[in-house]
Amino acid sequence: MAALPKRIIKETERLTKEPVPGISAVPHDDNLRYFDVTIDGPSQSPYEGGLFKLELFLPDDYPMTPPKVRFLTKIYHPNIDRLGRICLDVLKSNWSPALQIRTILLSIQALLGAPNPDDPLANDVAQTWKENQEQAISTAKEWTAKYATRDTNPTS
Amino acid sequence: MNSQALMVRDVQSEEPSEKFLQAPYDDIRQLVRLLQCPYCSKPFTSPVTLPCSHTVCRTCLPAPKPRANISYPNTPDHLIGVVCPLRHCGAEHAVAQCSVDVTMTKLLDLFKAEISKHQPMVEDTPMLLEEVLRVDTAASAEEKDAMLELPHSRTLHGGRLVATFVMAEMGELRYSSDVNYRSLSASGDEYDGLDVASLQRMHDVVQTELDCLVCYNMMLDPTTTACGHTFCRGCLMRVMHHSSICPVCRRSLHISPSLQNQPSNTLLNSLLNALCPDLVAARRTAAEEEGQVGGGEDDDVPLFVCTLSLPTMPTFLHVFEPRYRLMMRRCVEGNRQFGMVMYNKNNSPQGELGASQFLQYGTLLEIVNYELLRDGRSFVETRGVSRFRVRQHSMLDGYSVGRIERVEDLSLSEEGAFEQMETSTARELADEHEQATPGAPLPGPVLVNLNSTQELLEKCMLFVREMRQASAPWLSSRIVQVYGEPPDDHAIFPYWFASVLPIAEEEKYALLRTTRVRERLKIVYMWIERIRGHRWPSGNSCSIL
Repeated sequence: MAALPKRIIKETERLTKEPVPGISAVPHDDNLRYFDVTIDGPSQSPYEGGLFKLELFLPDDYPMTPPKVRFLTKIYHPNIDRLGRICLDVLKSNWSPALQIRTILLSIQALLGAPNPDDPLANDVAQTWKENQEQAISTAKEWTAKYATRDTNPTS
Repeated sequence: MNSQALMVRDVQSEEPSEKFLQAPYDDIRQLVRLLQCPYCSKPFTSPVTLPCSHTVCRTCLPAPKPRANISYPNTPDHLIGVVCPLRHCGAEHAVAQCSVDVTMTKLLDLFKAEISKHQPMVEDTPMLLEEVLRVDTAASAEEKDAMLELPHSRTLHGGRLVATFVMAEMGELRYSSDVNYRSLSASGDEYDGLDVASLQRMHDVVQTELDCLVCYNMMLDPTTTACGHTFCRGCLMRVMHHSSICPVCRRSLHISPSLQNQPSNTLLNSLLNALCPDLVAARRTAAEEEGQVGGGEDDDVPLFVCTLSLPTMPTFLHVFEPRYRLMMRRCVEGNRQFGMVMYNKNNSPQGELGASQFLQYGTLLEIVNYELLRDGRSFVETRGVSRFRVRQHSMLDGYSVGRIERVEDLSLSEEGAFEQMETSTARELADEHEQATPGAPLPGPVLVNLNSTQELLEKCMLFVREMRQASAPWLSSRIVQVYGEPPDDHAIFPYWFASVLPIAEEEKYALLRTTRVRERLKIVYMWIERIRGHRWPSGNSCSIL
């Protein structure tokens, strides 16, 4: 395998040395481009108290193309589908090489705090969110309690 | 493995070596000059690096004025301009290209902060600085007189580097002047230790603050965009192959992916070479080991000899010949790109290629969709990426491969100068013509050149609207669905127009060799003129419409 670009080494170092509160990202020993990520549900959101696991992969042409990120923990959110795929502009067309793993994970955390049902990925969730927000939020809380607990294995 | 170890080593932990400090130490005056504005002679405040590659303070730029005979790009900040204040330059630049150089500004702020922070600690280290005026031979007599009157001299503290910088800040050291130093220390101390320390601090600032936001290394061959953001030249090149906006501020950048018309930031390069040649050399070695350097020409690009394709436009192919089936399969498994070139029907000479089987200029295509049929044929949907010229070619398993060189538009400054030159010359010719033969029609080329680039686009757009109102079959909704609505981007419109217009491909081929947006629009405009000429004076409806 080609040597790891210095940018990835530096980003990894910084993520470990100066971690972002509520976010962790640890690379696999056998593949330094593949990260196990956890994000704490933001306070005052339906995801509060939950610990969400994600996977993050840096493609060969990173940072020219964005990292690939996916939720592993089941989550009830209008911009995240059943497979954990995330609808977020900075992960797609609005990616810029000046962004980094850290900023992307912060954006995802912010997305948990501010669901956007007008630009949905999970249509059924978005519809409920718009028509009956109370019900949607209560489902989101239920799912958080059920799936995003700190001791369960999220890959089940 | 070795290179990786080299990359992660912590340079800061190394002992400062005497060697790297020697070079800047030998010419402290020159080092401070790099931080001085050549116009006001003070250390830069919000430096702006102009397209003419001079750097001056923003406040030294004259007030912007509307630019004469410029219409492209049609945005407010391109239509007003400033003139380079330096006497020997005087080039006019669009305001859009005169943004504050963010990196230089940051460096200057940090240097100033370092110097003022250490000022109180170095009191009572007196040194006499005598300005030595250098009379510019090109200066006017008055300027020479003014200079001869007033060489400054000052007693300052902190060693030669700090004292020189402070003298420049006081406005008492002209950009072109040299300095004589004389220590006034009772013990005869030259304060070399202070200079070594100052240089070390500046060196550290550069080391920690000059990381490229794309590769996170110290900037290698720093290159600054029109919006004032600086990256390694190689990194900016990679970024421009993926998008056309600045990674930091997302402003759209009118530069070609090869950066062939984008000069490096000479001031920043000189500063890095003067202040930390050791870091520059280490960075260059690491980049070479990482294989970052190089690029430009592409070797052995597969060539499909078939039809005319144009940048940004789709081309649909039905691939049935066995050799091209093989080529397509390899492309799909590889980087999904290949070159499209036309047959050389007339066996005409193609530059250094001679009378080759195909024409010299072509378009690099990217496979968007690939549908393989059971019998091995395939349907391929492609989109034009960039234009190229074939430099050399050979055969590989039955199909051609070539070494190609990108063909790109000239810089915006050159484009602007071309428009100014052409329209103003046409205006003069038209006036002369009017005086010599009043009322006679102007020659065709003059008439075309009288149009600004913006007018050319507007007239072409008008023609498209008229033709659509007249329900021209070549502008049917089905065609527009394939090629899209006419783009209002001056650079791309000609490709769209050529894609939909039913004229011979050999004529459209002319667009592939153009290096100016205006040139392309003129070609299209002349097609339109010809079509109109056929249509109206004869009273017949034009056959191709």
